[in-house]
Amino acid sequence: MRTRAAISAALASAGILLAGWQSGAHVAGTGSPVTAAASGSSSSSGSTGAGGAATTAGGGAAAQAAGTYTGTAVQTRFGAVQVQITVNAGTITDVTALRLTDEDRKSVQISNRAAPLLRAAVLKAQSADVQTISGATVTSDAYLTSLQAALDAANL
Amino acid sequence: MQRTSESAPAGQPVPRPATRRNPALRSRTFRCMGTVISLALPDRGAPRTVPVLEGATAAVERVFTELDAMFSLYRPDSEASRLASGELTLRDASSAFRARFADATGWRLLTEGFFTPERPDGVLDLSGIIKGHAIGQAAAALEAAGVEDWCLNAGGDVLVGGSPVPGSGTPWLAGIVDPLDRASLLSAFPLGGGGRFEALATSGTSERGDHIWRAGAGRTEFRRTEFRQASVVAADIVTADVLATAIVAGGRAMVDWATDSWDVEVLAVLGNGELLATPGFNAARGA
Repeated sequence: MRTRAAISAALASAGILLAGWQSGAHVAGTGSPVTAAASGSSSSSGSTGAGGAATTAGGGAAAQAAGTYTGTAVQTRFGAVQVQITVNAGTITDVTALRLTDEDRKSVQISNRAAPLLRAAVLKAQSADVQTISGATVTSDAYLTSLQAALDAANL
Repeated sequence: MQRTSESAPAGQPVPRPATRRNPALRSRTFRCMGTVISLALPDRGAPRTVPVLEGATAAVERVFTELDAMFSLYRPDSEASRLASGELTLRDASSAFRARFADATGWRLLTEGFFTPERPDGVLDLSGIIKGHAIGQAAAALEAAGVEDWCLNAGGDVLVGGSPVPGSGTPWLAGIVDPLDRASLLSAFPLGGGGRFEALATSGTSERGDHIWRAGAGRTEFRRTEFRQASVVAADIVTADVLATAIVAGGRAMVDWATDSWDVEVLAVLGNGELLATPGFNAARGA
């Protein structure tokens, strides 16, 4: 999941940069400042959508659209992801991941999606072992016959 | 966490001995918001524990009572009722009321409408967020009073601090009711004890019928839900509570959205009794 998220976010960023670079190159031919912005929404990873903007480092000397383009950081569940591309003579010569998530603990977490689980395989405890009970909202009346009421009575 | 299945001896004496397995607790309860709130503290002997417990319970009850007086739609003089009747408009509501309204509408956006503060008849009902907020505020009151180890349960929504065995780092163990047999536990999850999860909320259709509203494309309606019950473990109680509600309303799509977007563990019971669980609830891999 993390890898997929990172890759799809990176691809999204790269796509944004590519779009930016193309329109930048087009604009460059007319002698205008080379800036471009594009936006797109990212991956299925639960990120909140992303905007991307690319600007050249090379300024007006970008007849060949050369330069380094930095994508905006894309937020994912596993942290921020950000890439940078280098363009030389109209060709992408390098893609660098500036940030690939910033929390170590989460980046080792592959997937936390819910999957079917047999009742026998779920984390269990006897009611004698627990200190409190969670259930769908208990009304005052239903409380009287609930497991929580039994626990509370034992701890008076 | 591996737990043995040996059962507790019959006729167990009360108070129980303080062991890691069965930490001795003392608890007090009171009624508010249509439910019962229980506060439990580790038992260090009656003379030391009872005065602290009673003071702490009074502080918690104050928090709940004040919020109930403002937000209950069952009290004709509450701010919520005066808003519902049109006597008051939102722009003239108190800043506390507007803050909770902002929270609730924020959660509606974050859950793509599956959590909503509006009843099908259009009345603003913040009760879906107020109980969680009250639990969180009560926790702040307990910590301000210097109470470090506690377990608060408000109608089945749980928030803990510290450990049932002070200083040990042992987590509180919270059971989850089986919606198909309310006298038994479906599962359990360790909370607190220094871990990152301190809250557990369960939402479902079994206690009050189908009481969860589903927001569709521009409309809110009652709907028979795909899930019978959903439990969410999180760092804070409002997140756990809101997401549990949203999952029962939103079904599988909302489960995936919740687990992808928040650091939570989820255990959901489908209508046919089958389970959907995140890895933390799997006994083989879990917490």
